Amino acid sequence: MSAKRKPERASVCIIGAGASGATAAKALTEAGVDVVCLDKGPHMRAEDFSGDELANVNRYNLWPDPILNPRTYRTAADEDPQPKLFCPVPQMVGGGTTHWTGWVPRFVESDFTPRSKLGDVEGAALADWPISYADLEPYYDRVEWALGVSGQAGANRHEAPRRRGYPLPPMPTTRYARKFHDGCATLGYNSYPQPIAMLSQPYNGRPATVQTAFVQQHGDPTGTKANVLNTFIPDALATGRLDLRPESYVHEIAIDEAGRAKSVVYQDAHGDFFEQEADVVLLGCGAIESARLLLLSRSARFPEGLANGSGLVGRYLTLHEYTAAIGAFDDPVYGWAGGGYIAAASLEFYASDESRGFVGGGQIAAAGAGVPLPINFAAPGKAVWGAEAKAADRELFNHVMAVAVLIHDLPQETNRVELDADVKDAWGLPVARITHRAHANDLAMGRWTVDRNAEILAAAGANEIWRVYADRITGNCSHQHGTARMGDDPDASVLDASCRAHEVENLYVIDGSPFPTGTGINPTLTIMANAWRVADLVRSRRGAGAPARSAVGGA
Amino acid sequence: MTERSFFDERQWETVEAAMSRIIPSDDGPGAREAGTVRFLDRYLSGVIYAKADGSGFREPAGADADAWRQRIEALRTQYQHGIEDLDRRSREEYGEEFRALAPEQQDRVLAVVEEAGDRGEAAGLQEPATEEGLDFFALLVLHTRQGFYSDPVYGGNADHVGWRHLGFPGPSSMAEVHSGAWSTLPYFEDAT
Repeated sequence: MSAKRKPERASVCIIGAGASGATAAKALTEAGVDVVCLDKGPHMRAEDFSGDELANVNRYNLWPDPILNPRTYRTAADEDPQPKLFCPVPQMVGGGTTHWTGWVPRFVESDFTPRSKLGDVEGAALADWPISYADLEPYYDRVEWALGVSGQAGANRHEAPRRRGYPLPPMPTTRYARKFHDGCATLGYNSYPQPIAMLSQPYNGRPATVQTAFVQQHGDPTGTKANVLNTFIPDALATGRLDLRPESYVHEIAIDEAGRAKSVVYQDAHGDFFEQEADVVLLGCGAIESARLLLLSRSARFPEGLANGSGLVGRYLTLHEYTAAIGAFDDPVYGWAGGGYIAAASLEFYASDESRGFVGGGQIAAAGAGVPLPINFAAPGKAVWGAEAKAADRELFNHVMAVAVLIHDLPQETNRVELDADVKDAWGLPVARITHRAHANDLAMGRWTVDRNAEILAAAGANEIWRVYADRITGNCSHQHGTARMGDDPDASVLDASCRAHEVENLYVIDGSPFPTGTGINPTLTIMANAWRVADLVRSRRGAGAPARSAVGGA
Repeated sequence: MTERSFFDERQWETVEAAMSRIIPSDDGPGAREAGTVRFLDRYLSGVIYAKADGSGFREPAGADADAWRQRIEALRTQYQHGIEDLDRRSREEYGEEFRALAPEQQDRVLAVVEEAGDRGEAAGLQEPATEEGLDFFALLVLHTRQGFYSDPVYGGNADHVGWRHLGFPGPSSMAEVHSGAWSTLPYFEDAT
């Protein structure tokens, strides 16, 4: 490694400027703490985005380029790992929020006590969380109001207690959401507008969200969708306390003689190395890359990776699988309107009921199918080329929708992130090797719930229904959790309840890695709420900083 | 034919003929009218990303540029070999190059190529839809669909024939999405 330059020491260094890193940066800088935030990728802005499905969905404008950032995947330790773009998330300022649609439901209270609720499940390693819903509730509230969320409090019969409603009323209803409401009503199920990080009305000086079709997996050219690029990053920059350094690829977190995190070693776009010293390091690269960076940060004290004395870093990787019943209707549902995810949802099957043959459950919701354009979509069983395929494209395009389920992927010790033995990335470092096999419980959950979803479509009047059963977990949601579990027992977890490493007193992991379970609900709101909670703890532990500069952040 | 950039004439006509069987011009415009071969030819010539306002193209830079050079080179090779394979099978079976065959014969050759290919595991619903790991036939289908249904700025979907086939009232240009002028609200429930 060539000579490293040493920038001025930072109070806090955050690695990753995505959902968690940007939230922590906002919370800390607005509370008077100086922050250096490093991100591997570029800082794209609204003006860099457009309705370009090829660039964003088919190519690597937003997805990590697998030539530069490969990953490998296998389903068991005795298999040869194969290169695969497994569970990718945009690696750039904004992270996953850059291309999300922004479903932001809260978790429910039982999500924090899965071991107590579900008991021992053979082959699974369920654990109760060391924090409760009540610990996060104030932070859910802060994130919802700082980001701008449209929703309808009280409409979800199963929702957890909330101190107040949403800052904005729900988005206008799409036709596919209406079909879902109709089907659920016929069957006696509760349904509600899915809370979404979009603005149904102007909010905090931002205009209402423009409803294009190019939303899911696209960046937002108008800056009107709520993501950290147009909220928390500019909020933090406005304090003058955030030093944001895009295109800064971190090689390792170095430690001092006492075993504390000393510095973050990174390389800029020109290939120059820097050593950024900091009092506190917050790691927020997503559960796969954060685990990888800990494993890459080896030392005499931590020969198996930083904070990994327990050997648990990378283990208990949990994902979500998005699988669905797809229905076609005589009348148009315009599944691409609003991008396909201005949705209605239900937690009707969320509570565990062992008589179904599995434990746990997943959120179900309506959405478009193969949106916005059917470049990559053929209805199951339909021809993929020729006159028949062409006719099917036309017949289905305006008439199909999905009722999907997020499969709760139970944690297993053998599902994990390791360093690949052979494959290296463009910076010469070993890549993440994923070993993941779905638990039979979860595949049964998917199958059973897709059948219920098909009934909802039928009740809503679908004339043809296809059931897409998951036979494995592909990571198709980009949701990832669990690789640095939080818990009270240092032998059974990597982080404590404050998401601080048991073994490294100034190192915190703030993305989905701390989650002991993946739940069956979209995780990003909870990741952001937890990051804000951790940022508050970091601030209070280092003593009072300068006075807060924003009432929103310091409240 | 001044439009050609990467393909030679035989390759262009072979790919165009194959794409025309994937999205035929039956009861309305198909791949041929959309210009999907032009779309692919430009891609294989290094047209990767449109500018966000649709006013032209931008060059990948730095490591991205290296990765794209590598990717495009591999795709070119895959197409060169794939086209040779189509012609070889066509000559063996029918005694003529693929482009000279009757449509039904072309369908049969394509079906054999599809069958012989390595399709791997089916992608999960909504998995990233990239070219990673696709064999020649799957690439050909993907690129035909991309050229038919993607924004016309990339050289396909001429006169929005792909979108009109679907009944997609899309934006007139990427600039309309970029500026926020285009909205799908008329297709929500409450639209009048």
